[in-house]
Amino acid sequence: MKSCVLIKQVPDGDSPVVIADDQVSLKSAGISWTTNETDSYALEEALLLKEAHGGEVVVCTIGKDSALQVVKDALAKGADRGIFITDPQFDHLDSYGKAAIFAQVLKAENFDLIFSGLQSDNSSNAQTGLILAEFLGTAHATMVIGTEWVDDSKIKVNRELEAGWFRWTELDFPASLTIQSGINKPRYASLRGIMLMKKKPITTITSGDLKMDEIPTLSRIKKLYIPRKTKETVFISGSPEEIVTQLTDKLENEIKVL
Amino acid sequence: MHEFKYAYPAYFYLVALAALLYFFYNLRKLWAASAGKPDPAVKINIGEFFINGLTFGIFQRRVFSRRFAYPALMHFLLAWGFFILFFATTVDFFVARGWFADFLPQLDTPWFASLNDTAGLMLIAGLLLALYRRMFSKPEKLPHDLFSGRGNFLGDSGIILFLLLLALGGFFAEAARLAVYQPPAVEYSWIGYPLSALFPVSSWRQFELILWWFHALSALLFIALLPLTKMFHILAALVNVALTNRQLRGRLRPMFVSRLMEDPEADLENISLGVSRSREFRRKQLLDAIACTECARCTTVCPANTTGKPLSPMKIMTDIREHLYAGQFGNGEQKDLVGATITETELWSCTTCGACMAECPVLNEHVPAIVDMRRYLVLSEGKPPEQASESLEKTLSTGNPWGLPKSNRLKWATDAGLDIPVFSEKKKADVLYWVGCAGAYDPLNQQVAVSMIRIFEAAGVDYAVLGTEESCTGDSARRLGEEYLFETMALQNIDTLNRYEFEVIVTPCPHCFNTLKNEYPAFDGNYRVMHHSEFISELISAGKLSPDKTLSGRVTYHDACYLGRHNQIYSAPRNVLGKLLKTEGGFTELPRHHADSFCCGAGGGNMWHDIEAGSRMNVNRIEEVMHSGADTVATACSFCLIMLDDALKIKGQEDTLKVLYIAQVVADSLPASRK
Ligand code: SF4
Ligand code: SF4
Repeated sequence: MKSCVLIKQVPDGDSPVVIADDQVSLKSAGISWTTNETDSYALEEALLLKEAHGGEVVVCTIGKDSALQVVKDALAKGADRGIFITDPQFDHLDSYGKAAIFAQVLKAENFDLIFSGLQSDNSSNAQTGLILAEFLGTAHATMVIGTEWVDDSKIKVNRELEAGWFRWTELDFPASLTIQSGINKPRYASLRGIMLMKKKPITTITSGDLKMDEIPTLSRIKKLYIPRKTKETVFISGSPEEIVTQLTDKLENEIKVL
Repeated sequence: MHEFKYAYPAYFYLVALAALLYFFYNLRKLWAASAGKPDPAVKINIGEFFINGLTFGIFQRRVFSRRFAYPALMHFLLAWGFFILFFATTVDFFVARGWFADFLPQLDTPWFASLNDTAGLMLIAGLLLALYRRMFSKPEKLPHDLFSGRGNFLGDSGIILFLLLLALGGFFAEAARLAVYQPPAVEYSWIGYPLSALFPVSSWRQFELILWWFHALSALLFIALLPLTKMFHILAALVNVALTNRQLRGRLRPMFVSRLMEDPEADLENISLGVSRSREFRRKQLLDAIACTECARCTTVCPANTTGKPLSPMKIMTDIREHLYAGQFGNGEQKDLVGATITETELWSCTTCGACMAECPVLNEHVPAIVDMRRYLVLSEGKPPEQASESLEKTLSTGNPWGLPKSNRLKWATDAGLDIPVFSEKKKADVLYWVGCAGAYDPLNQQVAVSMIRIFEAAGVDYAVLGTEESCTGDSARRLGEEYLFETMALQNIDTLNRYEFEVIVTPCPHCFNTLKNEYPAFDGNYRVMHHSEFISELISAGKLSPDKTLSGRVTYHDACYLGRHNQIYSAPRNVLGKLLKTEGGFTELPRHHADSFCCGAGGGNMWHDIEAGSRMNVNRIEEVMHSGADTVATACSFCLIMLDDALKIKGQEDTLKVLYIAQVVADSLPASRK
């Protein structure tokens, strides 16, 4: 079985959030970077399957120079090789754009399974793994909280539904799985692993290596801001009819949700 | 030469030779230690070799422990009775041969006769005391297998019974000789002579030869079997204590991971990181295991064992030994030790408190052995305790095990409205105040940090801090076996420290203190380091601090492992408290104090994970404080402060008992006008 794990470098949860002057990114000073939490679970799941049933685990990320570290960390934990996609042009891509790049890079590899974290801790879109499946035309399952090996051509996964419900589904390879945290216990990188990591291959890919004229993107961050915590309470009084009229008016014209 | 010389028959010498050969053959058990790795840090110093051998081997200084009075008396009687008789028998043998006649005492002089009998009685008394412990009083932790046990021939009691037979046989053989030959000074054999009077001379004459042979053969059998029994410790312990480097004892040995990683020659695929098999220990560590007498003192004082955790430092030693012997004398195959006979939970239960090492009569080093096996788990297997792995990862990414932002490292000061000097601006100061992660991030210890500033200011000390340039010293990481992370932290901190000029590093935390003082020199970080209690004690003595309020109520002090046992600092914090106390009698010692202190439970990285089994060490300790009648317990360790405060809350004693840091007590006693 050949699998790929998509990993993203994100700011550590306790890092100070200071918006940069460009208004669309964060100031990097003071931020400690780390591997996105659910991606660690995705990596662990891929490694466990490899250890039990053989095969290869490739890790892949798109990010700035510093993001090479998450590839190295994954290799130290036991992944076999890395693909590091980096280019200043890719810095502010949305999930769609990233999925398009991943699709371009990973297509030729013919992975049986592509693992990714359910969502990233910084942008929380929960999209990339799904859109990638669409680009590659493979099966996909989200919120995977358990896997069960069937044979060399399929896998059973347990998906977390709403309200404490779960559902087992069988998927044919190739498939893209987005992994929920808690599915396993991510391992600690041993020094032996770190030493062996130094000999594992990492391929670096930049925009020049991609045969893409333009990177598609559907959304763009206009402005980042720290949400202001305000509370405004308006009391609506009158007869029930008057209240309903006033309320619908507010919902329609002020809050614009209707 | 007197007339009672025995004409030993020639086959006596044959039997003696056979016994000796077998004895020497089994000395290979000592030689088994050579299977280990050489220890480049150990240099044999002849002076130390003899001093240690005499002090801890022949005179057995560590056997005489306050907490083990009964076994100390027992061992004294047994050992000295044995030594004297050994000397006497050797003399006897030579005299019988007519060797060295000019230098040796005559056998039947009053002093030699009475000394011999006294020694025999001492031996018997010691043996009876030992037997009573093993068969009747049975202290819980002491092994009391009767005739077998952990690879020792004749077990724990069997060999004692054998020695008893030997000693009693000796008296009977002597009585027979006295009765039959009536040598001069016979009345000075004050046990043998009365014994000889019990039976008519004719009976003695009849049995004399049999008794002699019985005693001679049992003595030879004892010699032959000695290396196979528990009594092997007589030799092994002597060699072990003589070879101990007491300066390095208990200190963790650096692995120099970064050098290893840069070494192009290193065979990374097959390198052994940490220890999982006995052969991977250093030779001296194996000798420790071989020398273990199974006295169980280590296990008796071990806080992990006391609170019901699955750890016995004695078992660690004997497991290593059995593994070694199985490999060396068995089929040669070495199975894993870690994860098999020694479980991961056993290893993680240790707080590295050092109580075991402080008590061990043969100077064993349990902590480095335990950490070596932890290194294997973490560095080779990537298996730190589950809860601790997050704080290890955080230490790497944020520079502190709490995982709080590096940029907030001075927030405690700004929050307290303090504007304190930092080295990045000041470059030079007399004192480098090492705040430590606890001082920077833990709410309780932040108060200590603020107290330190008040003290520096009041005494007019020229100080500065590293601020955001300070990182965790790596103490917990190192003790959790994460040597790579420790080294990363150490090298980074040393690099920072070397950029600035200062006279002395002062830190409130014994863990930072120990690491900076004792562990950074191996990485070329050589600094003068003082614990804050020493520094404050000096300030007060020099008249630079004049506390004007006194401490009321009854105060006691909890010795921190890394200040006391690991660094021998006992008096400085007591001096400081003494200066602040209103009354002489205001200070109470806890029952377990100084080197006998009981760990709070947080050392060895155990701050960052819990062992499910058993009860809590901090609660055990706070109960002791509660019984002492003190209303304030002073401490001088960041972790102890957190643990004891937690225990107070668990016991619901927040209103009746206070836990205070030495620095806080001092700062509170300063005149208010000086801030
Ligand atoms: S260091 Fe302390 S906790 Fe560890 S084995 Fe020794 S006595 Fe027990
Ligand atoms: S290690 Fe030391 S203290 Fe522990 S049982 Fe052995 S000899 Fe006794």
